[in-house]
Amino acid sequence: MTSRWMALLLMTRLLAAAVAVLLLVVHRVTAHDPALIAAVIAYTAVSLVVLSRVERLQLAPVAWLLDGVAVLALVGASEDWRSPFYVLMVTALILPATGLGFTRALAWGIAFTSAYLGVAVYTDLDADTLESSIRLETIATHLMVPLVVVLALAYAADVLERLRGERLRSERLAVQSERQRIAWELHDSAKQRVHAAHLVLSALQGQVSGQQAELVGHALSELRSAGADMDTSVAELRTPLEGRSVERLLGERVAELAPASDAQITLTGTVGELPAHIAAHTYRIGAEALTNAVRHGAAQRVRVTLARNPSTATIEVVDDGRGLPAIRRPGSNGLRSMRARADTIGAQLSIGPGDDGRGTRVTLTLPTRPQEESSHA
Amino acid sequence: MIRILIVDDHPAMRAGLTAVLRGEAGFVALDAATSATDLWPALNRTRPDVVVLDYHLPGDDGLVLCRRIKRQIPAPAVLLYSGYADASLTIPARLAGADGLINKSAPASELYDAIRRVARGERVQPPLSRELLGRAGSNLQAEDLPILGMALEDTPIGEMAAVLGVEPAVVSRRIDRMISQLKVDVPAPCSSR
Repeated sequence: MTSRWMALLLMTRLLAAAVAVLLLVVHRVTAHDPALIAAVIAYTAVSLVVLSRVERLQLAPVAWLLDGVAVLALVGASEDWRSPFYVLMVTALILPATGLGFTRALAWGIAFTSAYLGVAVYTDLDADTLESSIRLETIATHLMVPLVVVLALAYAADVLERLRGERLRSERLAVQSERQRIAWELHDSAKQRVHAAHLVLSALQGQVSGQQAELVGHALSELRSAGADMDTSVAELRTPLEGRSVERLLGERVAELAPASDAQITLTGTVGELPAHIAAHTYRIGAEALTNAVRHGAAQRVRVTLARNPSTATIEVVDDGRGLPAIRRPGSNGLRSMRARADTIGAQLSIGPGDDGRGTRVTLTLPTRPQEESSHA
Repeated sequence: MIRILIVDDHPAMRAGLTAVLRGEAGFVALDAATSATDLWPALNRTRPDVVVLDYHLPGDDGLVLCRRIKRQIPAPAVLLYSGYADASLTIPARLAGADGLINKSAPASELYDAIRRVARGERVQPPLSRELLGRAGSNLQAEDLPILGMALEDTPIGEMAAVLGVEPAVVSRRIDRMISQLKVDVPAPCSSR
């Protein structure tokens, strides 16, 4: 945004400097015109080069203040408030007017105009000026111009800023609706076909034996992985993790589950940085294990421990509840989808009894590259 | 013989289900319906024992249809068949009067088992938990909670109305309201907001 205003400053200040030099050459203004010409050329060059090179100075009030003092000093040096440097002086308002926000920009403009009035009094603004109506009108105009410039620029900057916000918002909405559409297509069509293929193939189980059974089992596991991939993608598209870490997301899940449960839930450790799609699967496996512990385990305590070693990352969810049922709960999909997700990312999922044989322990171990490498990836 | 009516909007799912059920002894897969519109004619024509009902359908969803199917006399058993968020569907499925709830990722053997059990009048669903009840409770109005409690105990609507001292139609409306408040979100083609 500032680059636009910097360009305006560059153009107007070069033009104003040229006008000043021309006036000084054509009209004799003071006894030391050559020095003034040298000063305005030097100051214009230095100020523009420094401000363009050091971008953070474009938004630094100290730089604006120094710039203002310098141009007012030039006006003072020309010994007349109707100075050849007047337009140059006005250009010093561009950056503060556009960088401060409307109200504060206006205050800056008033302060600047007052300083200019001070310089005018110091040069030759006196009782005579106030008695001559033409000179009075000229000084009034000279005082109004900086205020009008600040008002116009501050207003323009404000409108542009709002337009930019509006554009960002509509872009975000467009992205969101596109994500919704993709999620819907994945869920509504591709996923249904995968379900259908899995169902049909699973009907063969028990009817074939030996190597064929192995092949069917392999194909079924691939289909389950495909389904898990789609589930994670759909979930990602609808509520993206947006780069949040696995531990932070699990922390949010704990905060969601805690009020509706008797269990004391603790969460410690970190799995470090993981590639995005692995993090998405990892989080959803961890969240499922945690939800199962809270939902079905009747646990007093649930402990979630995350750890990162040189070549693996682990998530362990241990509860002291009633443990896994001997037979599968009908209609439940949780364990199946956890296993499918673990397969997808090449991780190991082990589910067994918890401490002292009570409750359940779910451990997910996923291979990782050393942390330095993965953060470069 | 268990006569089964399939309701699913996706052709691959309808074909797959029909093929799998036809291959299993003791099952008769009737013509499948794709949505609410052709469900009623099919229901009247075939009089099935079990309806395998997709949750996510265009127009009225599986829960709404399930409520209407279960109002028929005699009503077939309804097995809700969902590819999405199963455990959180447990309570709305109970409220809608579904006899069973099974995920679409279940292998055929589990589906056969579930169909046989609902046909015998058993209930097939993930267990209810404190966490699920707590979440449902916080999404519902306090005045509806007694109805939820009674519905989970399989209290008939007439009895609920008598206990609460209101018309059965009021109880029925409140159950509809609870179902719509507990609906499980599925991805929609475009965001309505």
